[in-house]
Amino acid sequence: MNDATAARVEALEALLVEKRIVDPTVVDEVIDHFETNVGPLNGAKVIARAWTDPGYMQRLLADGTRAVAELGFGGPEGHMIVAVPNTSTVHNVVVCTLCSCYPWPVLGLPPSWYKSPAYRSRMVAQPRAVLAEMGLELPREVLIRVWDSSAEARYLVVPERPSGTDGMGEAELARLVTRDSMIGVGQPLSPDAARDG
Amino acid sequence: MLRVMADPLNIDANLEGPASPPRDNGEIVFGAPWERRVFGLTMAACRSGKCDWEAFRQRLISRIADDEMRPYWQSWAAAFEDVLEQVGVLAPGELDGRHHELSKRAAGIDHD
Repeated sequence: MNDATAARVEALEALLVEKRIVDPTVVDEVIDHFETNVGPLNGAKVIARAWTDPGYMQRLLADGTRAVAELGFGGPEGHMIVAVPNTSTVHNVVVCTLCSCYPWPVLGLPPSWYKSPAYRSRMVAQPRAVLAEMGLELPREVLIRVWDSSAEARYLVVPERPSGTDGMGEAELARLVTRDSMIGVGQPLSPDAARDG
Repeated sequence: MLRVMADPLNIDANLEGPASPPRDNGEIVFGAPWERRVFGLTMAACRSGKCDWEAFRQRLISRIADDEMRPYWQSWAAAFEDVLEQVGVLAPGELDGRHHELSKRAAGIDHD
């Protein structure tokens, strides 16, 4: 099956190149761009800025797309970024039940499990259980909000700033922000865990 | 360095084959080179204006809904073909023909 699809994609590329629809060099550049320039580190910088600058946090929550653009991140797949903040009583988690909508400019390409039927269907029905399976046990009293991403709204979770980080600067804080914490299936690293890593 | 906080293996425990999850913090996105390639082709075609991103997204949703268990990148490839046929870049059957030719030529030859 995989080999058949591989041959089909090869045939497709040959046709598209002959028809001058795509240039193979541009295809390489596009892939390279998404693999190296667009990744969760961008989102981590956004979160670290929000943690250290209350004005930026306000702007991020009011208009995610514009606030993300302030740091130079954006593009066609980053329209309508909506930032949702975690608090001590509310935990947010993001899913795309229809396909794989995801804020690419700040998180990079979605991981495979984000696109799996199991994640897409179960996160809506049993968020607490699925989060626990993924290693995130939340206290009963914490309310879980599940956000269904779409082209109209691509959600970015703003995790809570970890304790013990009072003296830390933006760059140092950004190292604590994991991709999973911005999807809502994990928490940011603690300063100790980051030092060990 | 960023490290894995969640264990994505648990959630996909019942899935097999190409839909199995990555082992690292999202860095393994593509399971096979063709997946990477079809992704790049789609983005390049959209950026050159030959493929409308929203039309593609709608086809992807339909293709995923048609067969939830089909591996994600196969649904993606099928949706991309749909859009290219819709806008007339590919004539019906054109890709089948080229695919067949290529498969015949490649038969018995090891390559990657």
